[in-house]
Amino acid sequence: MAAPPARHDARPAASHHGVWRTLLPVLRLLASFALTLAGAALAIQLLLWAAPGDPVDLVPNGAEVRAQLEADWGLDQPLPVRYGRFMLRALRGDLGTSFTYRPGATVTALVLPAAVRSLGVLLPALVLALTVGLGLGFWTAGRRSLLGRALQTVSVAPVFLLAFIAVQILNEVAFFGMEAGWFGRPSWFALPDAESGLKLALAVTVLAVGSGALAEVHAAVEDEITRLRNAPFVDAAIARGAPAWRHVLWNLLPPLATIAYGRAAFFVGGLVIVEKVLHLNGVGSMLWQACRMRDYPVALGITLLAAAAVAGVRLAGDLVRVAVDPRLRESGP
Amino acid sequence: MRRSVLVGGAVLGLVALAGLLSAIPGLLPYDVVGDVDPTRAGAAPGAAHWLGTDHLGRDVAWRLLLATKAFVGPGLLACALASVVGVGAGAVAGYLGGPVAGFLRYLFTVTASIPRFVLVLLAIAIYGNDTLLLGAVAGLAYSPAVAEAVFARIDSLRRAEFVLAARAHGLGDARILAYHLLWVNCRRMVGRHALNLFAYLLLLETTLSYIGGFGVMEPDPSWGNMLAFEFGQRSGNPWGVWAPALALWGTILCCGMLSEALAERSHA
Repeated sequence: MAAPPARHDARPAASHHGVWRTLLPVLRLLASFALTLAGAALAIQLLLWAAPGDPVDLVPNGAEVRAQLEADWGLDQPLPVRYGRFMLRALRGDLGTSFTYRPGATVTALVLPAAVRSLGVLLPALVLALTVGLGLGFWTAGRRSLLGRALQTVSVAPVFLLAFIAVQILNEVAFFGMEAGWFGRPSWFALPDAESGLKLALAVTVLAVGSGALAEVHAAVEDEITRLRNAPFVDAAIARGAPAWRHVLWNLLPPLATIAYGRAAFFVGGLVIVEKVLHLNGVGSMLWQACRMRDYPVALGITLLAAAAVAGVRLAGDLVRVAVDPRLRESGP
Repeated sequence: MRRSVLVGGAVLGLVALAGLLSAIPGLLPYDVVGDVDPTRAGAAPGAAHWLGTDHLGRDVAWRLLLATKAFVGPGLLACALASVVGVGAGAVAGYLGGPVAGFLRYLFTVTASIPRFVLVLLAIAIYGNDTLLLGAVAGLAYSPAVAEAVFARIDSLRRAEFVLAARAHGLGDARILAYHLLWVNCRRMVGRHALNLFAYLLLLETTLSYIGGFGVMEPDPSWGNMLAFEFGQRSGNPWGVWAPALALWGTILCCGMLSEALAERSHA
C-alpha cells in the first residue's frame, strides 16, 4: 500500500507571496480544464478510429474516388497523426469541413450560429431553474411541503415524455378552443411548427424541469436554508443587526456550483432531445442529423463543444467555490 | 418491509421478468408484431384486447409487454459493466492512491465531461444501432460516476481503525479491500448506482426510439416508439398513449423509490 497523499495540514510557509496564493489555484484549475478538453478530444478520436465503416461508404460513387477522399479527409493517417493534426488545427479554431451534412462548409461556420440559437433555449432554462428553484426553496424551507416531492416525481420523467404530454395538453386546449369558437384553426396543429414564443417557452420549461435542475436546486436550497437557520453565525449576524441574507446567499453559492456541474451534462443531453422533439433548429438537432449522416467532423465538433461547455461549467463552479471558501485555496477544490 | 420497497421491487421484478421472457422466441401465442388489422383500429379496452388496440389495430397490452425486451437485457448488461468497471477502477484508485489515483481520476473527469447522451448517440451512429451496444456504451459511460463514488468512499476509509485492526490481525490487502471496504461499505452505494443506471438506460432507449432513426424501429415495439406512433392520432383509444407513458414513468419512479430506500438503509 502506498503512502497516504500529502495533506496540507500546516499553513503554507510565510515566504508564499500573497498574489501566488490566490493565483496558483486559479492556474491549476485552468490547466485542468485544458487537460480535460484535450483528453475528451482524444477519447472522441479513439471512438472514430475504431469505427468499422467510414463516411466514404455513404458517398454514391465512393468506391471510385475512395483514395482521393481518404487523402482529402485524412482517413488514411494513423491515429497519433490524426489526433496531432486535429489538435493543431483546433487550436487555430479550425475543426475541419463537413462531409455529408453540408458538404464543403466549415464546421465552425455551421456549428457556431446553431450554438448561439441553442443558447436562446439553454440560458433561459438555466435562469428559470435557478430563480424558481431559489424562490420555491426559500418559500418551502423548514416546513413540510409536498412541493419538493411533486417536483422530484415530475422531474424523473424523461424529457421527451414531458414534452410529449405538454404538447398533448396544448393540443387538447387548442381543440377545445376551436370547438368552443374562441379562435379559428391555428396555423399549426399537433405541434407548433414555426419558431414561436409558445414553442420556445415550452422548450425552456421542459428543459429546466426535465433535466432535474429545478428539483435539485429546490432541494439544495431547502437543505441549506434549514441548516443556516440553526447556524450560530447567522444568529450572530442577526444579533448584530447585520443583514442575514448576505450570509445565506454566500453560503448557497458552493452547493449551487456543485449542482451546476452535476447537471451541466444533463442539460446538454436534454437540449438535444428537446430540440429534436419540438423541432427546434439548433446545435442539438444538428448533432442528431450529423450522427444520422455519419458526418464525423460535424458530430465531433459538436461533441467537443459540449465537452467544453461541461468542463467550462465545472471550471466556473470551482472558481466560485475557491472564491467563496478560503479553506479550498490551500488544499485545492 | 417498507411499502415503497415492496411496490418498487414488485414492479421492477415484473418488468424484468417480462423482459427476460419476451427475449425467448416462440413463447407468444400469435404473431403480435405483425398482427395489423385496420378493421379494429383504436378499439377500446375489452376482454379480447385488455388495453385496446392502436390505430393499426395491434394489441396495446401485448406490445407493452414485448417492448420490455428492448431495455431489460441491455439495462442488466449496462449495470453489470458499470459495476465491474466502476468498482474495479474506483477500488484501485482508492486503495493505491498516489499517481495511479491521479491518472485514473483524470480519466474519470474526461469521460464525465462528455455528456452521456451525446457519447451514446455518437457511439451508436459509428458502431451501428443495436440495443445491446446501447447498454454496453451506457454502462461504460456511467462507470466513472461509480468509480468516483467508490474512490471517495475507500479513500476516506483507507486509514480507518477497522482497516488497521484487520491488517494487524494479519489479513491481506485483497481480503480487506474485497470484504471490509467494498462489500461492507460500498455495496448499497453501488446498488443505488445500478438502479439509477437501469432507469437511465430505459430513458435512453425510449428517447431514441421516440425520436426515431435510432433505437427500436417499427414494427418492433418500444415504449418510446409506441408513443411516437400514436402522436397526434385521435384513434379513440387513449390507452394507446397512456399505457406506455405510465409504464415508462412508473418504472423510472420505482427505480428511484428502491434507490431511496437503499440510501436510507446505508445511512442507518
